Amino acid sequence: MKLKPNFTWKIWILIIAILLSLISVFGIPPVALQKGVLVTSVEPNSAAFEAGFKEKMIITAVDGQSVKDANEFSELISNKFRQTGNESIAVIFNTNLAEIVYFSNKLPEITFSDNLPSNLKFGLDLIGGSRALVQAEDKKLSSEEMRDLVDTTQNRLNEFGLTDLKVRQVSDLEGNQFMLVEIAGATPQDLESLISQQGKFEAKIGDEIVFIGGKRDIASVCRGDSTCARIDSPRQSGGGYVARFSFGITLSADAAKRHAEITEKLDVNSSNPQYLEKPLDLYLDDNLVDTLLISEGLKGRVTTQISVSGSGAGATAEEAFDDAEEKMHKLQTLLITGSLPFKLEIVKLDTISPALGGEFLRVIIIALLTAIGVVALVVFARYKKMKSSLALLLTSLSEVVIILGISVVIKWNLDLPSIAGILIVVGTGIDQQIIILDESRRGAFLSLKQRMKRAFTIIVGAYFTSVVAMLPLLWAGAGLLKGFAFTTIIGITTGVLITRPAFADMIRRIEE
Amino acid sequence: MTEQKENKETQSKTKEKQRFKTRVARFHDKYYKHLLLIPALILLFFFVYMGIFYSNTGDFIHRDISLTGGTTITVAFANIDLDDLKENLTDRFDSFNVREISNLRTRKQIAVVIETTTEPEEAKQALEDYFGFELTNENSSTEFTGTALSKGFFRQLLIAVLLAFVFMALVIFIIFRNFVPSAAIIISAFADIFMTLTFLNILGIQMSTAGIMALLMLIGYSVDTDVLLTNRVLKRKEGTLNSRIYSAFSTGITMTLTSLLAVIAALLVVSSFSAILTKIFTVLIIGLCFDLLNTWITNVSILKWYVVSKERD
Repeated sequence: MKLKPNFTWKIWILIIAILLSLISVFGIPPVALQKGVLVTSVEPNSAAFEAGFKEKMIITAVDGQSVKDANEFSELISNKFRQTGNESIAVIFNTNLAEIVYFSNKLPEITFSDNLPSNLKFGLDLIGGSRALVQAEDKKLSSEEMRDLVDTTQNRLNEFGLTDLKVRQVSDLEGNQFMLVEIAGATPQDLESLISQQGKFEAKIGDEIVFIGGKRDIASVCRGDSTCARIDSPRQSGGGYVARFSFGITLSADAAKRHAEITEKLDVNSSNPQYLEKPLDLYLDDNLVDTLLISEGLKGRVTTQISVSGSGAGATAEEAFDDAEEKMHKLQTLLITGSLPFKLEIVKLDTISPALGGEFLRVIIIALLTAIGVVALVVFARYKKMKSSLALLLTSLSEVVIILGISVVIKWNLDLPSIAGILIVVGTGIDQQIIILDESRRGAFLSLKQRMKRAFTIIVGAYFTSVVAMLPLLWAGAGLLKGFAFTTIIGITTGVLITRPAFADMIRRIEE
Repeated sequence: MTEQKENKETQSKTKEKQRFKTRVARFHDKYYKHLLLIPALILLFFFVYMGIFYSNTGDFIHRDISLTGGTTITVAFANIDLDDLKENLTDRFDSFNVREISNLRTRKQIAVVIETTTEPEEAKQALEDYFGFELTNENSSTEFTGTALSKGFFRQLLIAVLLAFVFMALVIFIIFRNFVPSAAIIISAFADIFMTLTFLNILGIQMSTAGIMALLMLIGYSVDTDVLLTNRVLKRKEGTLNSRIYSAFSTGITMTLTSLLAVIAALLVVSSFSAILTKIFTVLIIGLCFDLLNTWITNVSILKWYVVSKERD
């Protein structure tokens, strides 16, 4: 028998679909072959952050020396910074986006890994990250309030230094509205309070509000500049340590005028004549954060420069310092972004460690291959025909490839429900191919074409029942199981439109 | 000489096969209505069991954390004696569940998973006390779902299953436009799901969101073979009724057995690694077994009854 490439157009469509999918998954040229190191995270507000390092950046060379993988890169830069001591050095990093000049005496605060093997994007439940589902407490939000909430949260998290995140509104079958926050990679420890905190900041003198957090009253906040934002060295206090922080803010003209009007009415403190009789109290969500004495010279003056302060505590000096740093960072963020007009409640919070992700994917791939291997054995045993069985297996595999390809094109993150969806697609795919194979060998008085037509009435019937069975899941449970319904529908649709017709043609070629 | 012998052998083999087939057909013709008693009795027994189960627990299933709300903490890189951990946590948590994740090849423990109804902060604290190190986002995963949300999830997933079932039923009616055969498919699909649920209760297996996803998969899988059967029996004219049923059977059984074996193989790989996939596969395996019963006894008998009585008219 000669091998003639007498493919029908249906088979060609399948081949083209597979090729396009492979291209979208692996890229041209294949991303796996691109040399370099992938930046997986950048410490917010660090020197590396300021220098312009960004997540997902690919570092290709350091000081002109090209880097192949993460090990080499790690060795190279630790050598460079080994003997710097207190002296800063300049290192030039070549990346796929821009050239970065990094000037410091410390290693850049970034995490990195070998370049990714493909363009596939995986969900947080597989590669690690956080996901929070947030609801307003005892209140149904209008769509406008919801939009405000999403914007403020997005803004807050961005100001905090998180970049790789998604904040969006989701609703469920019962009409409940939620805000879904998804953050890839490493998670900040205090994510919970950042998301759910109302963040109502008020500076009061007595009962009168001088200014509140947000753009209206605060023109700018000093951050990452040691001349106007600092943490004092921790002092021993009680059984532990306390560290004070302070940073400057610039009030808007209105807020400054208000400050003048209120202080005008105050007398000088009789026992401590350097200061006014009442202090400036700083409240965060109605809790007193700090009390600042107002120096007598500020009475009635329109002043735009104010220093905000607070303190952190801990068992050791180091802990106190870290706590102060964290609190300062959060307060700065809240002052910039302002407060939310309602209280929030986190109804679901998942933080998945990236540690188990790799192993997890490996297990899933092995499970999929084992399952397909078993199918191969059963099919060979049943039909005892090499070619048809092989065609069946290859078609099933091609379905997986096409689903993955489509997921890259539409930027779908493959999460665990999606993987389950792929499994069901492979399962029903094989089932339907068995129907085609069986129909082709039945009803000898019919032409092969008629027999195939019969197979397809069954397949299309089964297709519609499966699709409608998946539809409700697109909305149920705040859409957290959407991936399952989505991949299943994409997969079986591909099956009916592309792979099944091609498989029928293959079988016809083989049987004739 | 040898060729002739072989020929004879195959001839006698096909003859034997033929004889066997006729015997089965004769048996089936005589007793197919009686066969319906098997699923009917199982169904009856399961209905009674479910009734008792419901009056005892006030629920139709054992719900796990994903449907009741609670905290799941996974701690990686720990080498923990599970029994010791359990003993230690008994005083601190009201209700909890501990399992381990192990490496596929070496079977060595790579993480422990603790599920509890306790709030995440409190649970974390208790575990930190036990482990003696801080649980960070690097060495552990924390998943928390609020009670109200979980209840909502559960309600909605039930609605999803019901809607899926109703949609499926509509599509079946549209495809066949024939009441009894369509109803037969829907009855066997319902029996699949109901029997699977009850059987999970009997085994004491908890249901999770993943398990409910598997039920949805099951609707698709179970209907596949029923559609195949009904299509072959009603829309084909060639051959006797029995031969049409038999042809559907030989295709359908290949389909279901292939799926079943593939799922069992996959389960062996993922068990002890992913609770979610393990649950999905377990539910599918039970469901596919009941599907064999319901397609090839329940559905076949009702369909045959219908066709035979119609032919008589």
